[in-house]
Amino acid sequence: MDTRAAREAPCLVACPVHTDTRLMVERVLEGHYEEALDLLLEANPFTSVCGRICHHPCEESCRRHKVDAPVGLRQLKRFIVEATGEYRLRRRGPAKRTRKERVAIVGAGPAGLTAAHDLARVGFGVVVFESADEPGGMLGTTIPRYRLPYEVLREDIDDILALGIELRTRCAVGGDIPLTELQRDFRATLLATGLSESRSLGVPGIDSHGVLLALPVLRAVSLGEPPPLGDRVVVIGGGNVAVDVARCARRLGAADVTMTCLEARDEMPAWEWEIEEALEEGVNLATSWGPRAVLSDDGRVTGVELKRCVRVFDDEGNFSPAFDEDQGSSLSADTVVLAIGQAADLTCLRDSSIRIGSRGQLEYDPETMVTSERGVFACGEVSTGPGAAVEAVADGHRAARAIQHFLDTGGLLKQTPREELPTIGDLPDDTIEHIKQRARVEVDRPPGEERVQGFSEVERGFTEAEARAEAQRCLACTTGAFVDEERCAACLTCVRICPFGVAAVAKTASMPEEECQACGLCAAVCPAAAVALKRFGAERIEQDLSRLLAERQKAAPPALIVSYCCLFETTSRKFLEENPEDVQTTGVARVLVPCVGRLSVPDMLAPFEQGADCVSIIACAEGECLYPTAEDRLGARVEEAKRILEEIGLSGERIELWRTQESAEVSWTAFWEISRRKVAGINSAERGEET
Amino acid sequence: MKSGSNLERVLAAGHFAVTAEIGPPMDCNGEVVTEKARLLRGYADAFNITDCQTAVVRMSSIASAVLVMREGLEPIAQMTCRDRNRIAIQADILGAAALGVRNCLCIAGDHQSFGAAGKLKGHPGAKNVYDVDSIQLVAILKGLRDEGRQQGGDEIEQTPPLWIGAVWTPMGDPVDFRPWRLAKKVAAGADFIQTQGIYDMELFRQQMKLARDMGLHEKTAILAGIIVPRNLGMLRYMDAAVAGVSVPQELMARMSAARKSAGDDKAQARRNQEEEGTKIAVELIEQARETAGVRGVHIQAIEWERKVPEIVERAGLLPRPTVTPEA
Amino acid sequence: MIVAERKPLGEIVEFIEGFRRVLVIGCGGCATVCLAGGETETKIVGSALRIAARKAGRQQDVLEDCVMRQCEPEFVEAVPGRVRDENIDAVLSLACGVGVNFLAERSGDVPVFPGLNTKFLGATAEPGVWVEMCAGCGNCVLHLTGGICPVARCSKSILNGPCGGSNDGKCEISPDVDCGWELIIRRMERLGTLDRLVEIVDPRDWSSSPHGGPRRVVREDLRQLAAEAEEEKATTA
Repeated sequence: MDTRAAREAPCLVACPVHTDTRLMVERVLEGHYEEALDLLLEANPFTSVCGRICHHPCEESCRRHKVDAPVGLRQLKRFIVEATGEYRLRRRGPAKRTRKERVAIVGAGPAGLTAAHDLARVGFGVVVFESADEPGGMLGTTIPRYRLPYEVLREDIDDILALGIELRTRCAVGGDIPLTELQRDFRATLLATGLSESRSLGVPGIDSHGVLLALPVLRAVSLGEPPPLGDRVVVIGGGNVAVDVARCARRLGAADVTMTCLEARDEMPAWEWEIEEALEEGVNLATSWGPRAVLSDDGRVTGVELKRCVRVFDDEGNFSPAFDEDQGSSLSADTVVLAIGQAADLTCLRDSSIRIGSRGQLEYDPETMVTSERGVFACGEVSTGPGAAVEAVADGHRAARAIQHFLDTGGLLKQTPREELPTIGDLPDDTIEHIKQRARVEVDRPPGEERVQGFSEVERGFTEAEARAEAQRCLACTTGAFVDEERCAACLTCVRICPFGVAAVAKTASMPEEECQACGLCAAVCPAAAVALKRFGAERIEQDLSRLLAERQKAAPPALIVSYCCLFETTSRKFLEENPEDVQTTGVARVLVPCVGRLSVPDMLAPFEQGADCVSIIACAEGECLYPTAEDRLGARVEEAKRILEEIGLSGERIELWRTQESAEVSWTAFWEISRRKVAGINSAERGEET
Repeated sequence: MKSGSNLERVLAAGHFAVTAEIGPPMDCNGEVVTEKARLLRGYADAFNITDCQTAVVRMSSIASAVLVMREGLEPIAQMTCRDRNRIAIQADILGAAALGVRNCLCIAGDHQSFGAAGKLKGHPGAKNVYDVDSIQLVAILKGLRDEGRQQGGDEIEQTPPLWIGAVWTPMGDPVDFRPWRLAKKVAAGADFIQTQGIYDMELFRQQMKLARDMGLHEKTAILAGIIVPRNLGMLRYMDAAVAGVSVPQELMARMSAARKSAGDDKAQARRNQEEEGTKIAVELIEQARETAGVRGVHIQAIEWERKVPEIVERAGLLPRPTVTPEA
Repeated sequence: MIVAERKPLGEIVEFIEGFRRVLVIGCGGCATVCLAGGETETKIVGSALRIAARKAGRQQDVLEDCVMRQCEPEFVEAVPGRVRDENIDAVLSLACGVGVNFLAERSGDVPVFPGLNTKFLGATAEPGVWVEMCAGCGNCVLHLTGGICPVARCSKSILNGPCGGSNDGKCEISPDVDCGWELIIRRMERLGTLDRLVEIVDPRDWSSSPHGGPRRVVREDLRQLAAEAEEEKATTA
């Protein structure tokens, strides 16, 4: 049956490109890092970038939020990228050109390159025009390296370009080449030029020497040619760009860096974690102030005069700052950097007939993404306004679909700017009570004073063990139990054992998706086998087993141990990588299960049918199980399976239940060794009995 | 006279009646019964012959009753509902009457699972019958005797002259319902009642008061059950395991003291306890006799029948009266 | 429901030892609900029998199936065909005794063995505990006893209880068994109908119970209609 949920996990829904983060975590747990990368790149060609700097709406919506803290999905994404470097190079390659039409894309930022990527993959010829020296757009030129090393960005870009996309850098459309030429030579053109200009302010003294604009500063920094800033720097603005400037200034040696903004501390538009890190690095905040004037001496900036901002937004939520002119303050500065917003650079439209709106913005239909000219589309920040990288990627995908439709049909495709998917929503309070808390894995970062010594990356990635531990925290939303109503006998067994109080029986049983925690305890005991699991159910265990044991038929090792192991206890891929030959040499066939609490008695018996001498079940460490009561329930089932063996004349000792000590890598091999010896004893004793 | 049995006559004459129990053997050795009969002749007015008590297979109650009669004693044949359906019960009762049995005690019978106890295997896997219950059985006998009608409705010509008895467990749970159940037995036609063994005289008196308030003592002859305690272990067992029997702490203490007084001498300890038990039995008989509405005692000296004469004598109940049948 | 319990597997192995192809059939009705013979138990028994055969070096195929209820002709209709087509030599039914009988009547010369011991008509007292509550005696006396059945719940099925063996609310046979009559008395006390117990209940007519011979319930009206419909089908065909 189709096990895909009609309602999705909130993390997937929240992601602008609908990355299946839930499945990504599952792949990590299973040790299938390469498959995880495939899944990520399918949704988002800027996976490396997003693993570093994504504002991760997935985490904000993670249902674990209400239990303790969300799962570190962004870091997991980064881990996947870092763990699969070679594989990624192998999978890189040209797309097959199947369409004669060519598309011109103006701007090699995340939006433009995503669209290029998608269009190339469906077979179109794609040429990307970029005015800068290097591709990447804002990602490459304004995001500081300590947040996003350039080589990380290149991982994504190189993948994209390897599809066979032609990139023309230092080629400014509207300057080096007129847009009309592109319109003539290409069947479609996509404008993805972003917002590359900083806005300025109309206050007295703004023309003083030493007043700089944020984006040029950041660009210069990323090129390694920073302007002299002096000792005291004031950054005007409270957004992410302002934070970037402030933190760069600290790295460039400014001792006294102050950000000042209209907003109060809790209203600041920058991401909270960025502000925290800036504070750690010694950046000062002067919030709820607006600039009255730039102070100067002899044309050279000496500071900023401020007035109290009492309100930023009006009652309707529109930007409409109000000031208390009587309250003032001032900051002295050698340099003042303006980071109060960006604007589009529309020089690419020069000499073209594409219309520009009254407020200087590109005229554009948000649904069809087309500009005033047929065949010329726009996407990314130039049309949507400022946004996060992943939103630019999402818009790039949308543009590619719009253009493909246009090239296929000559018509325009209407797409809502943001596709809303149904979600299973938040966890009900009753369920939360039953969920065990488990601390989020946080990576340590060097202290602020150390970080400001240079531009090396602040954050490190997860180790494999950290990644696996964090992945374990995922609540596996939408992958829980479901009922085959035809089989259900309404016996209430599931209701009686559900540790989360989720299962209910009306005419037949049901486990509401938004509550089910996917522990699998009900499926393990349903007498009608009417409960199945969307993820890692009985069929999966069966398949794993027969695949592993198929090899074994060829030549028999002295004793065969089938070991069902708790996936959650592994800190590496050591035991996850399946090598059927291992079964031959070690005599141990491992079947890894996310919580062995879901093993049913038939699961425990099945290996004996296929020639196993022993079933060695390895659970998590005592008291560590994520699922309440699962340990006791498993214990009872193991006892039942043992009794059944005894009833047919086999030693019940052939089924063993171990508790992991420390980790899989530390203890499992020793357990198997003990089992091996024990089985040898039982085998010879039972043979003796028969002769 | 309904049956003309000795027991009926003794009670009718206003004497304080004494019955005792004879347990048949687990084999076909009639001598065992005969021996016990000889030992007890003259010490009670009638003798209960148990019917596979505790669901252990023993010589049949009716056959043993005949052996007892040959020794000149009057038997009370016990009849359980456990082993026979209404057909077999009526057939056996008619046969017993033909052989001269004049008293019959109607009981449900211990469940067959009781048979497996101690060293005995019993027949716990037996199928029980319980076609009728003890109250229905009383009514069936009354129907045969007074209406000349079998339970199914068929008429009989010669009716069995039976003195019909039933058992009462006055302190059995639920205690509040016990007087009512006695009333049902009386209403069904019980001429006499033998109670479960009594140790807690206080509680027994309370239950008797309720029975008297219902006028039951006038409609039936209530004989108080006395189980002769042989040692402390037996008292403890009865208290803990036998339904409807509770032994007051004071009696336990007396028996315990008797045992202790012998020190390490086990034989002496046994003798001391037996003596104390005999004393207790005698006292219980005396107390029962003083209880209003009690018209006799039923002495059970389980597998210790030879002790009965001494107890009866010490209780001042000898000699047993002779009441000649009316002409 | 009918409460049953799996027979010891050793006993089942002996039943089927001599047969080359065995079909284990579970029942989706009561046997499933009392966790004795549903789909999962069928899997367990099938698995255990295959392991046993393997251990004994016996060439034996053990197949599994589970039908909705083994006591309806429509639900077991397909079984004889399967038995024939798949060369089944023996059938092991994991239904109550009804299912075994029902299959046996329909399985030609192939033996049908019982995989369960059918225990009683009962209810779930608590998870993992089932208790008998009805003896199926064919003539309900529950109106006389406060809705609690003396026939099923008194060890002696007595109608004028309790006997002298009631002890602290428990039956003389075991401290684990409630005295049915204690339950009846407490219930009737609560209902204010205790006085009705003073009436002597006469010996009952057991002919409605198994003692009266195999029983059947016939609804002539329905039977008639079905027969007519059958006839009509035959004539139109």
